[in-house]
Amino acid sequence: MALAQGGRARPDLLDPVEVARLGGLEVTTAGVVEGFLTGLHRSPRRGFSVEFAEHRMYQPGDELRYVDWKILGRNDRLYVKQFEEETNLRAMLVLDTSASMAWTGAPGRRLPKLDYATRLVAALSLVLLRQRDAVGLITFDDAVRSQTPARARLSQWRLLGQALAASTPGKGTAAEPALRRVVDALARRGLVVFVSDLLLDRRLALTALRFLRHRGHSVLVLHVMDPGEVRIEGAEEARYEDPETREAVILRPRDWADVYADTVTRTVKEWRAALRRSGIAYHQVTTDTPFGHVLRDALRPPRGG
Amino acid sequence: MAFLQPWALLGLLAAGIPILLHLLARREPPTVAFPAVRYLLDTTREHARRLRLQHLLLLIVRTLLVIALVLAAAGPTVPLRGVPGHGPTALALIVDDSPSSGAVAGGTPRLQELVSAARAVLDRATPDDRLWLVTAGAPPLAGDVATLRARLDALAPSATRLDLGAAVRQADALVRADRRPGAILVLSDLQASALSAASPGAPVVVARPASAPPANVGIAAVEPGPEPWGPDGNRVTVRLAGDSGLTRAVTVRAAGRPEREGLGAAGGAVGVATPALPTGWHTLAVALEPDELRADDSALRAVRVAPVARAECASAGRWAEAACEVLRQNGRLAPGAEVAFGRLAGAAAVVLPPEDPALVGALNRDLERRGVAWRYGAVQAGGAVDSGGVAPAGARVQRRLALVPAGSGRSGVLGTVGGAPWLVRSGSVVLLGSRLDPAWTDLPVSAAMVPFVDRLLNRVARGEVAALAGAPGEPVLLPDRVSEVRAGDRRWGVEGGAAFRAPAPGIHWLLAGGDTVGSLSVQVDPREGVLAPAADREVAALWPGAEVVRLGDVPAAAFAAGARGDLRGPLLWLALVLAGAEALLASGRRRAGAAAPLAAAA
Repeated sequence: MALAQGGRARPDLLDPVEVARLGGLEVTTAGVVEGFLTGLHRSPRRGFSVEFAEHRMYQPGDELRYVDWKILGRNDRLYVKQFEEETNLRAMLVLDTSASMAWTGAPGRRLPKLDYATRLVAALSLVLLRQRDAVGLITFDDAVRSQTPARARLSQWRLLGQALAASTPGKGTAAEPALRRVVDALARRGLVVFVSDLLLDRRLALTALRFLRHRGHSVLVLHVMDPGEVRIEGAEEARYEDPETREAVILRPRDWADVYADTVTRTVKEWRAALRRSGIAYHQVTTDTPFGHVLRDALRPPRGG
Repeated sequence: MAFLQPWALLGLLAAGIPILLHLLARREPPTVAFPAVRYLLDTTREHARRLRLQHLLLLIVRTLLVIALVLAAAGPTVPLRGVPGHGPTALALIVDDSPSSGAVAGGTPRLQELVSAARAVLDRATPDDRLWLVTAGAPPLAGDVATLRARLDALAPSATRLDLGAAVRQADALVRADRRPGAILVLSDLQASALSAASPGAPVVVARPASAPPANVGIAAVEPGPEPWGPDGNRVTVRLAGDSGLTRAVTVRAAGRPEREGLGAAGGAVGVATPALPTGWHTLAVALEPDELRADDSALRAVRVAPVARAECASAGRWAEAACEVLRQNGRLAPGAEVAFGRLAGAAAVVLPPEDPALVGALNRDLERRGVAWRYGAVQAGGAVDSGGVAPAGARVQRRLALVPAGSGRSGVLGTVGGAPWLVRSGSVVLLGSRLDPAWTDLPVSAAMVPFVDRLLNRVARGEVAALAGAPGEPVLLPDRVSEVRAGDRRWGVEGGAAFRAPAPGIHWLLAGGDTVGSLSVQVDPREGVLAPAADREVAALWPGAEVVRLGDVPAAAFAAGARGDLRGPLLWLALVLAGAEALLASGRRRAGAAAPLAAAA
């Protein structure tokens, strides 16, 4: 899967750590996005029902009604027509840079959650910019740390890259001010992508996300988790301390692994159920998942919508 | 409960390991940064109580598992009643063959009943049992059934008394030295006088005859009175043992002369006059009418007949002279210079300290010239005469001169006051530490004065002639000079001053070189003649936990104490169950979380 034609590796399907080793944020993100788009049969947000945009080679699975029969008659080649949506999308990416995001359960073998989320956000923004959507960025911890207004220019990518590269782990987590800032930043209905480990005040965050949805925005929540948070391991007793709140608990992971995994599963289910009830898309993302998989899931049109 | 391998119980220390590990595990653990602590807190809040309980149960189960395994290794056994057969047992059989076992009750000798019961017990013994036979007057016999049966077949009433308490203690020591569960079986007529306290660790079963003991009268003691006897005849007192109250004729035969008779009742005494005897050693044969216990119906007693001492008492003070006069009037003393009383002269002398302290030095020089090994010393504090010597025990001494040995030795001490020599002899010279005067001692004004002077002049000063009495098997201290003991054809080389145990009743002559210097008259212990048995509650009081049964019940009861259940099997099963429980708990602890949310959701 990770190899494309000619034996070349597709960065979007590589292990995120290996991707990070390939170079800086902008370079690796471009590679990821290129690989991702190459693997797609068609552009993720490019439809067939509005204004014509361009032709491309027919690929098995394409609907025959979009085949350009004129070109077939002239050149004896199969091309299909692609159409531009009527209006460009305005997307605002909201990235959690709190202290808890700086954690990794396997240093050197897995990216910290923030590094992973940074690259994921960069890739997302590049995909959206490539299809001429306006993309903005808000980073926050216990307050809003940076805000880049949504623009559709290609130079926006550089600004976003700089903002992402400058994001460092902060302190606590307070999502509500950042989400409220989105309301001001997106005057028209748009897309809000909220990337966080969701170790925050759930009630406040849900209220803010529902408000965004109420304002007509499409909302996507990417719940970033380290595999070490999904399942705890180890035989020796340890004192586990929250880097943000300093809350601590002493236990032997071996004794609690199964019950803990159930607690996490239940928590994820509760998030997913609560968000879906409000029409908010939710994806759980672990930091060992190749970026391409996440992009595919995140950019897949919502079922029934 | 008893253990086949008690040393294995040291392994119980290992039972503390789970607890120790539990405590060690409570040390402060290392801190790990973990953002999702809120999930851990949620998890522990929901399951902490269940897991704490599981931890506690695991701790208990693991500790019990170790204890069960260690106990199984130690091989515990517990008494089981009413089960046929018995486990390997260390059994000590005490068969009371003391003289009283010769009593005939209901036409059957007691010992025969006891031996029959012992045989029945041996019939039930197995090769895995360890057996001992404890009897009177013989060391315990360890061996197999055949060995013990052979000893039982040859068993006859012993002349030696058996202290049942001592026998139980001895048996207890034997069985406790064996790793098998121990039991003690006492087969006895249970004479009350034979019982003494014991606290055996092993269970004790006491078997007693069903029939009452026969009425008995026995010879408790033969008392010849002051010795040596004079040649003009004397009088012997025979004390009769027994609690039957019966009256019996007593005959005394002296040196083959015609018997003299008296009539006495059990528990009383009878005086019998003896005919005049020539000078020398003679044997008095005392006999009772035969009854159901023959062992105490006869006794022998040696007496020595000699002319009374010819003593000169003028220098001994008026109190001693008065005593001499009494003795002279009773034929116990004659005038003469054979013994000088109060001064250092003649062939033999009883020397008293001078009234004037200034004369002590001159007296000591005379003693030195005579070769006496003692000297008079300084005035010493008084005290009471100690018991066990020639001197009358308990007599008060207000004043005395120290008696100091001239050489390195301290031999010849006949009496002491507060542990210090007060009456000593060196050769034919006797030294007294106090004058026989009320200012020095209250002896002159006591009833003990005349017998004391009699002993001094007739026996001590003329060379002590020992007239000892004892019972078979009982230790008797021999006089210093004795080198040999002879009884009939039997001879024992002995060391003077040592204890001698006569094996059988009879006259034992004490010899020093070729001379007879005394006698030891041995007769059955007078307590053997009192056949009254102890009540069951007395037995239980003296031997806590002892079970008293009839002789007929003894075969079933003998190994009942040794009928023990082996707990190794049940303990191993218990360990297996505990190990299963441990595995379930340990796995359940890991599964607990999976089940709990589902249960909560349901």
